[in-house]
Amino acid sequence: MEKSRVIIYSYNHISEQIAQILTKRDYEILIIEDKEEHIEQAKEDGFKVLNLSLMEDDELEQIGLNDKSLKAFFCLNEDKNNNLFVTLSVRNFNKSIKIISLSSDVDNNKPLLLAGANKILNPYEISAFRIFRLLHKPYILDVLDNILFSKSDINIEEITVKKNSIFDGILLNELNKVKKGNIIILGIQDKEISEKFIFFSAGINHKIDEGDTLVLLGRPKELEKFKESIDHIV
Amino acid sequence: MKSLIISLAYFLESSQNYYKIKHTAFQLLEDPNYRYKKYFDFFMIFLVLSTIAIMIYEVNHKQLEILNDFEIFAIVIFIIEWLGRLWTVTHMHKQIITDYEKAQFLNQPYRLNRSIRKILKQKFKFIISPMSIIDLLAILPTYRPLRILRILMIFRLFKLLRYTSSINEFRRVFVEKRFEFFTLGLLFFIAVVFGSTIIFIFEGAGVNENIHTYFDAVYWSVITITTVGFGDISPVSTPGRIATLFLVVGGMAVIAFFTSIVTTALQEKLQMIKEEKSVGEANAMRDFIVVCGFGRVGKVLAEQLDSVGEKFIVVDNDDKQFQDSKFLNYTTVKGDASSVSLLESLGVEDKAKAVIALSSSDSTNLAIILTARSLSAKVNIIARANSTQIEKKMYLAGANKVILTNDITALVASEYVGQPVAFDAIDDILLNDKHAVMEEVEILENSMFVGEALEKLNFDDFNLTLIGIVSKDEKDSFTFNPDKKSYEIKAKDILIVIGYNEAIIQFKSNILSRRTKIFKRVTNGKK
Repeated sequence: MEKSRVIIYSYNHISEQIAQILTKRDYEILIIEDKEEHIEQAKEDGFKVLNLSLMEDDELEQIGLNDKSLKAFFCLNEDKNNNLFVTLSVRNFNKSIKIISLSSDVDNNKPLLLAGANKILNPYEISAFRIFRLLHKPYILDVLDNILFSKSDINIEEITVKKNSIFDGILLNELNKVKKGNIIILGIQDKEISEKFIFFSAGINHKIDEGDTLVLLGRPKELEKFKESIDHIV
Repeated sequence: MKSLIISLAYFLESSQNYYKIKHTAFQLLEDPNYRYKKYFDFFMIFLVLSTIAIMIYEVNHKQLEILNDFEIFAIVIFIIEWLGRLWTVTHMHKQIITDYEKAQFLNQPYRLNRSIRKILKQKFKFIISPMSIIDLLAILPTYRPLRILRILMIFRLFKLLRYTSSINEFRRVFVEKRFEFFTLGLLFFIAVVFGSTIIFIFEGAGVNENIHTYFDAVYWSVITITTVGFGDISPVSTPGRIATLFLVVGGMAVIAFFTSIVTTALQEKLQMIKEEKSVGEANAMRDFIVVCGFGRVGKVLAEQLDSVGEKFIVVDNDDKQFQDSKFLNYTTVKGDASSVSLLESLGVEDKAKAVIALSSSDSTNLAIILTARSLSAKVNIIARANSTQIEKKMYLAGANKVILTNDITALVASEYVGQPVAFDAIDDILLNDKHAVMEEVEILENSMFVGEALEKLNFDDFNLTLIGIVSKDEKDSFTFNPDKKSYEIKAKDILIVIGYNEAIIQFKSNILSRRTKIFKRVTNGKK
């Protein structure tokens, strides 16, 4: 199978961190940058760099935006107008690509979302929320950190329900009877209804069908076993 | 007799009730941060204003019996208040005890009258203090033979000063600007003497029928200098009029000078009063969070803290950010958060539960950490850092937690690439209180569930999902999804659950109410 790819527009401290983390997770990274010193830095850190500004549409064609293997496009320029422009052009080029844009001001969030970003990264907001959680719910933050950032042996995983799987057609609150092993089913996202996430604890009798995404918590081994058990029945 | 007084002093020293009563009286009279003081103040202000209203009413009305009674009532209160102040100003018994113990220590005979002299000296010092004299002047006019002193009743108005703390600040304005006022006063004095002497020489000797004495001349020149100019006395001779011209022009200068000094001084002071008010508000709080820096991170954090009703104080040195925070009605103090005196005045030493350093400069944050840690060993310090190098230094300086803005952003971003749905779910839990929330439910030490199997807690009834348990005894170890049948609940366990807000509240109250039921049963059994 082809390696998953990620494109990062602009190279700075955050880009460097993201690139490092994703390299470890076996993604192929491509950095787009037009400032000489940043290019040097990125090369030194061992990443593949293209010297482009992305201000022209034909430049977009060079970076393979329509490849199946491309998983996400990061727009991390520190200039808000550049970010907005590139977000818009990339969205124009590829309707379904996941775009994550940097915004250093809350006021910029809305224009970026309108331009087509799927997710806004605001370092200040993220830091503030983190501090708030540290103060307000320290244990939860710790537990979530361990789960999310893979420090412990517990992972969070998404599974898309396929046709004819054992989950197809059963109700959400019957899930616990079907599931095996030490895992927790957090909830489900139904593509047909909305983008909204339904928590298991909502107590809603939602019918699971093909295309829904289940979110699970558990140890990697158990999660693997669980996935296999579904596939077997298919 | 002597030994009786000494033992009485020791008795008072050891009596909790005496101390409590005296302390409450003191707080009521003198402590501006005491909760009930404002009611007391309102009451006293009412008394003062009403007795003065009665005085004005009686100028051209017949005396009413009930009003007289009311006045006597007010006077009694005034006397009690004054005696209360006299009582609480010093501790008599403590003076006796220290003197007595000193004498014992030096092996000398104890002399009671020496202590009494010291005590009287202290009390006398209070009696002749300006505020006490105002109090006395307010009481005095009721004494009938001194009815002439009725005019002194107006001094009761000054009593109002006692009940508004900021008035002291205005008094301080005059003390601080005393050099300017002295110069001004001297200038004024010279001008008055100059003017009145000239007019008296030229017009005093029968030339002007309105000027008979030197006082008339002084009266005229003060009225002229201050640009009031009633015109009841006016110069009639040419030299007199020339003197008037100079006096009027000089008077304008004096007035202008005076006005500018007072205005600028008051303005400076007002700013300080406002700041001190914030510090005062801070002093009244407990278990609050000090947010140092109201930049982009600070704003979002303050908003979040505010939304859950957490108490916090914003400290910022920047004028614009200070105003921003003020505008949002947060308790805000303007100043340098790395200064020891500022953090101390806010009560970081013993009252704050956390200090958050959010300046955009790493070195400032480091300074804040050091200052806060030097004031308190146990306060929770969280700091924001921009580079990994500084992170270590911050931990060394005493930070409990350092947030690396870039790192955490990168972590969040990379997680989003892998599993967006899962990530949104978690984000939802953490941010959106409307939907499901993740909560910590602590098992109290005396809970009836301690030692029971986990399934007793009936998570399903509340539609709660148990993620895991943090056990306090084993260094906050986390057990993921424990088996509900075999896991035994321990005291101080923290259950991490996901569910709807109301459900969690229900769940918590259920745990608590069951505990009380058990408690009742036990007490009933004893009966």
